[in-house]
Amino acid sequence: MKNDFYDDGFELLLKEKADQFSMYPSKRVWHSIYNDLHPGRRWPSLAIGMLLITSLLLIGHLNTGDHRMNPKSNNAATINTINTNIITQNTINKTNQVNKTKAHQPPVEYYDKAFEDVITNETDFYTYTVVRNNRPKNFYYPEDAPTPEPGFVIDNTVVKNNETDIIQTVDTYIKSNRIFADITMYRKKKANPSVVLTKNNLQDKYPENMGEPEALNISSLDRSSLTPPAIINSKGIDPDRFAAADIKSTLLVTKVEEKKGITPEEKAWIENYALHNNKKEGSKFKNRLAYEFYVTPAVNYRKLTTKSKGSATAFANADINEVMSQKPGLGIETGLGFTYSVAKRLQIKAGLQFNYTNYNIDADKTNHPIITTILLNDPATGYSYPAARVTTISNNYNASALQPVTLHNRTYQVSVPVGFAYKLSSENNVDWFAGATVQPSYVFGGNAHLISSDLKSYVSDPTSIRSWNLNLGFETYMNFRLGASYNLQVGPQVRYQVYSTYRRDVALIEKPYAIGLKFGLTKGF
Amino acid sequence: MTEELMLIGCRKNNAAAQEALYNRFSPRMLGVCYRFAKNREDAEDMLQEGFIKVFTQIHQYRNEGALEGWIRRIVVHTCINIIKKNKKFSDSVEISQAHNIHIREEMIPSIMQAKQVVESIRLLPLGYRTVLNLYAIEGYSHKEIAFLLDIEESTSRSQYTRAKSMLEEILIRKKIIQKPRKKNLFFGNI
Repeated sequence: MKNDFYDDGFELLLKEKADQFSMYPSKRVWHSIYNDLHPGRRWPSLAIGMLLITSLLLIGHLNTGDHRMNPKSNNAATINTINTNIITQNTINKTNQVNKTKAHQPPVEYYDKAFEDVITNETDFYTYTVVRNNRPKNFYYPEDAPTPEPGFVIDNTVVKNNETDIIQTVDTYIKSNRIFADITMYRKKKANPSVVLTKNNLQDKYPENMGEPEALNISSLDRSSLTPPAIINSKGIDPDRFAAADIKSTLLVTKVEEKKGITPEEKAWIENYALHNNKKEGSKFKNRLAYEFYVTPAVNYRKLTTKSKGSATAFANADINEVMSQKPGLGIETGLGFTYSVAKRLQIKAGLQFNYTNYNIDADKTNHPIITTILLNDPATGYSYPAARVTTISNNYNASALQPVTLHNRTYQVSVPVGFAYKLSSENNVDWFAGATVQPSYVFGGNAHLISSDLKSYVSDPTSIRSWNLNLGFETYMNFRLGASYNLQVGPQVRYQVYSTYRRDVALIEKPYAIGLKFGLTKGF
Repeated sequence: MTEELMLIGCRKNNAAAQEALYNRFSPRMLGVCYRFAKNREDAEDMLQEGFIKVFTQIHQYRNEGALEGWIRRIVVHTCINIIKKNKKFSDSVEISQAHNIHIREEMIPSIMQAKQVVESIRLLPLGYRTVLNLYAIEGYSHKEIAFLLDIEESTSRSQYTRAKSMLEEILIRKKIIQKPRKKNLFFGNI
């Protein structure tokens, strides 16, 4: 670093102004960081969410039943529980003159003050939590409430006094918004001191849909007064300082620090970011959108069955797959599509895809046309009947065969795949996805070689191919992030055709499926 | 939560402590990233990558110096790495191109001074902006900048001089600083 750096007023101005600048990141950033740091906790997120909600409900339920104090019990016994191993800092309010004789046993008024301070912006949640969980037995709670447990207690659970537990416990309490319920209860009591809370009116204690109290305007805190000595040290609460201290300090201040110096004008500026050469609202849509090109070479297999009814049931007497010499063929799927990230891990996709399917049959070419029949089903009655056809292709059983030939059962399809992809995991520049698509398909060409009803010949009949079909695609792939906006996707893919390749009136049912390896390239907008 | 507690928690990979640390420093660090980035989204990506590095390397922090300074250094390096990865840096410091950039009045925000300064910096071309950020605000020397950006030290100096000149024009038009009556009232020799 240059030594004379600060001699220059320009650099000083820049540094000063730049250092004053701060912005609030979106929640997405923390979620992404969390998922990277704690991969084991993110799956399945729905279950965790449900567990969290259940836990909060359970905590709420338990708290309304067991954690109330008896107003007739001894104050001093309860006060002793304050001596827990909490480490925090607090600000001494010099204007708060307190009788030293009461310092070792903070009276009810201090807890009362704690509530007041929360309401009037001067209490931090951390200290408040300590106070709240060590409150006197006669502090705004039903007469039949049990005696509190010693130690650091939240919702009837005694927590070990190690740092991690304390951090988590306090955070849990703060995040559960129970503090606001307590404030509301305090206000009720203040408005009508004659009210006695009992089990019958416990619902009043934690009313539903309770928002943040209006008075809790933490932005009005004066930071300059918040450089406190500790009133709660590693050995527990210092009674002298506790008694003399205004309940005001750091955890809340920690939260407030984020907002230091933030005026409503600045906040508005941050929130209305688009005014300052930033992307407009519509760009969020663009950022989530990407287009992709992919190619999937695939090996095509098929499952052939028959559907015949009535007297002409030659198919039923033999395993049709056994009498044919069949070979899987090589096909391909390629297409263009769009993906849209609806959530951090979930993408929906749609596009246009071209499919080429191919399946091979070994047969023989005859030296003259022969007449044979294929089996069709009457749509009206459902019964099968033979339909005469002329062919020059014989199954291997036919003695008139002259020359071997490979028949290609091909189809050319255009489909519109619609589906989703879910990110299973992510590490560095590689993501692992799994997805599925539904592919309504139009077959615009191809050829079909149907085996004759006597199983001895093949009849070429492209008209027997069904025009519309439906495919299901399943895939899993690794997504390699290449630079800012390109991604390479590689992974296995399976495609299964839901309906038979042939028309309904054909007694043969062919269900092809393909197993391939997808290579995709995506690019964001 | 105190800084000490946060550090203990982060070293134990405690999510609550990590979140507390993130909440405390992320606004300012996003401000740092924003000065380097093309837009807010890119800045958030930089912030995300930077904090992942912070949390994975937190055990290397030995309580020497301010934690914020340590975090800031990691974040700045992350920003530089991302800029270098996304675009060949030498391509982005075309001086002739930069001189031709016209700063339109409506491009200049005018609400808060700190924001004005930052937004003014962001109006500079990437190369100018990066060098100016590193030298004037982050306190790196031209030698360090040359090493970080894979450019010549002399290039860093010239980029900075031109960046200052352009920024001066912007700041004067925003009335954050006044046009000097005498030459070099605000801008002495580097």
